[in-house]
Amino acid sequence: MGLESQLGDNIFTTTIDKFVNWGRKNSLWPMPFGTACCAIEMMATLTSKFDLSRFGAEAIRFSPRQSDLLIVSGRISIKMMPVLKKIYDQMPDPKWVISMGACASTGGVFDTYTLVQGVDGFIPVDIYIPGCPPRPEDLIDAVMQVQRIVEQESVSPKKRSRAIAS
Amino acid sequence: MSEQHHPLVVQKIQEKYPDAVLDVADARGELTVTVNKDVIYDLMAFLKNDSELTYNFLADVTAVDYSLMEDTLMKYDYARFMLVYHLLSTEKKQRLRVKVPVHENELSIPSMASIWKVANWLERETYDMFGIIFENHPDLRRILMPDDYEGYPLRKDYPLRGRGERETFNFEQQNL
Amino acid sequence: MHKDPDRVSGEPMTLNFGPQHPATHGTLRIVVELDGETVLKATPHLGYLHTGFEKLGEHHDYNQYIVVTDRMNYLSPLSNNFGYVLAVEKLLDIQVPKRCEYIRVILAELSRIADHMVWLGMGALDLGAFTIMLYGFAEREKLYSIFEKTTGARLTTSYTRVGGLMRDIYDGFEEDVRAFLNSFPKTLKEVHTLLTRNRIWMDRTKEVGVVSAEDAIDYGFTGPCLRASGVDWDLRKAEPYSCYEDFEFDVPIGANGDVYDRYLVRMEEMVQSGRIIRQALDNLPDGPVNVEDYKISLPTKEDAYGNIEGLIHHFKIIMDGHGVQPPKGEVYCATESPNGELGFYIVSDGSGKAYRIRIRPPSFIHFQALPHMIEGGMVSDIVAVLGSLNIIAGELDR
Repeated sequence: MGLESQLGDNIFTTTIDKFVNWGRKNSLWPMPFGTACCAIEMMATLTSKFDLSRFGAEAIRFSPRQSDLLIVSGRISIKMMPVLKKIYDQMPDPKWVISMGACASTGGVFDTYTLVQGVDGFIPVDIYIPGCPPRPEDLIDAVMQVQRIVEQESVSPKKRSRAIAS
Repeated sequence: MSEQHHPLVVQKIQEKYPDAVLDVADARGELTVTVNKDVIYDLMAFLKNDSELTYNFLADVTAVDYSLMEDTLMKYDYARFMLVYHLLSTEKKQRLRVKVPVHENELSIPSMASIWKVANWLERETYDMFGIIFENHPDLRRILMPDDYEGYPLRKDYPLRGRGERETFNFEQQNL
Repeated sequence: MHKDPDRVSGEPMTLNFGPQHPATHGTLRIVVELDGETVLKATPHLGYLHTGFEKLGEHHDYNQYIVVTDRMNYLSPLSNNFGYVLAVEKLLDIQVPKRCEYIRVILAELSRIADHMVWLGMGALDLGAFTIMLYGFAEREKLYSIFEKTTGARLTTSYTRVGGLMRDIYDGFEEDVRAFLNSFPKTLKEVHTLLTRNRIWMDRTKEVGVVSAEDAIDYGFTGPCLRASGVDWDLRKAEPYSCYEDFEFDVPIGANGDVYDRYLVRMEEMVQSGRIIRQALDNLPDGPVNVEDYKISLPTKEDAYGNIEGLIHHFKIIMDGHGVQPPKGEVYCATESPNGELGFYIVSDGSGKAYRIRIRPPSFIHFQALPHMIEGGMVSDIVAVLGSLNIIAGELDR
């Protein structure tokens, strides 16, 4: 407080965590892992009417190495799950995962021999979106929820692991 | 789709292969001919090339596991599987269904891939789902299921939820 | 990558295209062997989205399965609903009211436009024309609001029922559809202006992925892909189902069977769909939308709540093991879905559930010809050809 009055109006002070989180949360780079119907709604979210760029998340990267938000949208079969796991592993930390729709979250209406009954058995999921498929507004809401999670992250590895444990 | 054409088709098939025709059914405007496995390859080539029939288009190849349908089983000497071909003539605007009973102890049938290129994957899928072997097929591998998958999902004795493959599948199965 | 950077030709390089790739529009994988930029060999791998739809058909009753058909081709779910119930109705040997047929045709044609709009947007996006995608999606959003008002869902519509529809169309449906029919030709015109004589677009699509008419039939092509190769075959004309014989429309035919012709055929198909919808709206009959057979279609809510017969009918249809029970037999019913011949082969054992349901998927069959179309071409053509086939992974793998 004392310092700011000395520096004048043009300089702000903040913590590193707050500053980094502010940057991260407003520039999420999604990696869209779209397989089925939900991917169509995800595409709709990205285009004109819903426009995810209003939330700073329009820089879609199809390379996992350039992204920090994995959106799993669609059914994941036992043949696809190793691919998804590999993509998740390739993403640099910190990373967040949205499981979009009933199929990715639980298998949905397809309780069959070939579908993984929820990707959370294999990769950690931050936000689940219900719906078959969820509306674009639901996906936007999920991105905002992820932003709230990002806000509580920390650059210090110690604090970060504590945040995950709690 | 005129049904007047049907008697001609049946007559031509019966003339050409008198001993091979097991059954003829004409229901709901659809003609079904059930034939013996021995003649199927020649019959298909005949149906495609004959100038009055011209079934130039193979629409679908699939199979049905009749193990739970007792009367059909009895009718065809307890043949468990039935291969089903759907043919179409774009010239005559006619469709034809050809069925072939296949016994479980000799699970093989000639491949149609040399007559129609489309048969290649359709037969691979039938092999994948039912375990029926297609002789002289150019590339008979699993197509939809992982290569190391055991069991044939569309057989009637295979449970809908699988036999635990959803939990125990191999993460290293594919060279990605 | 090449072991020796100086060698351009020599040892072929293997490139893995997919299963997660922006241009695959879903989950398929092509392993390509390259010599420089020339494709020597392509091996498609699929099954990454295999869901077990056919197995599921043996465990659901006839009306429940409509929900599954939505999720098969998620660009045009209404066409799938339509094709499936037609097959079941053929099995039951019933005739639905004229009004129902007209509404089904209107919605099937609208979903054809929606499908082609997404195909157009994504295909153009893959070749670098991002604007087209935004135009296509903006147009499709208008359709989605019509679908949502009619069926209650944007995408997974489940609107048809065996023997009718879930409910009648809403008041104002006609105005909404007419407003759309007046606005979408403008978008088409803009797309034509941007693409059709565009030098880049023509260079990327002309004489790329050529399929001759004989090969197209040999490979089992149907729909726009077959017609682009110059074969005049449209199930709506050749084997008119539902009420398609009532409408006047042209079937666009291509000449060269390349990506450019497939583009032109689909563009013209949208215009023709518009013509069909206009005629159907002009002559939309009045009357009920469901067959008046309480063994097949649900009674009205007033009946179900108001009198005992209605309640019993409602109960009988909903209860497991009662409901719609077609006679023993088998049926194959093909419809002209936006991608081609979508066939349902149903074997019934006389119970409330199908003994076997087989789906003849156009995408699966078109995808088979991909190596034939890209081998010998350039690596960048793979994207153009794949886009032009409009492979829907849900239908490809089922």
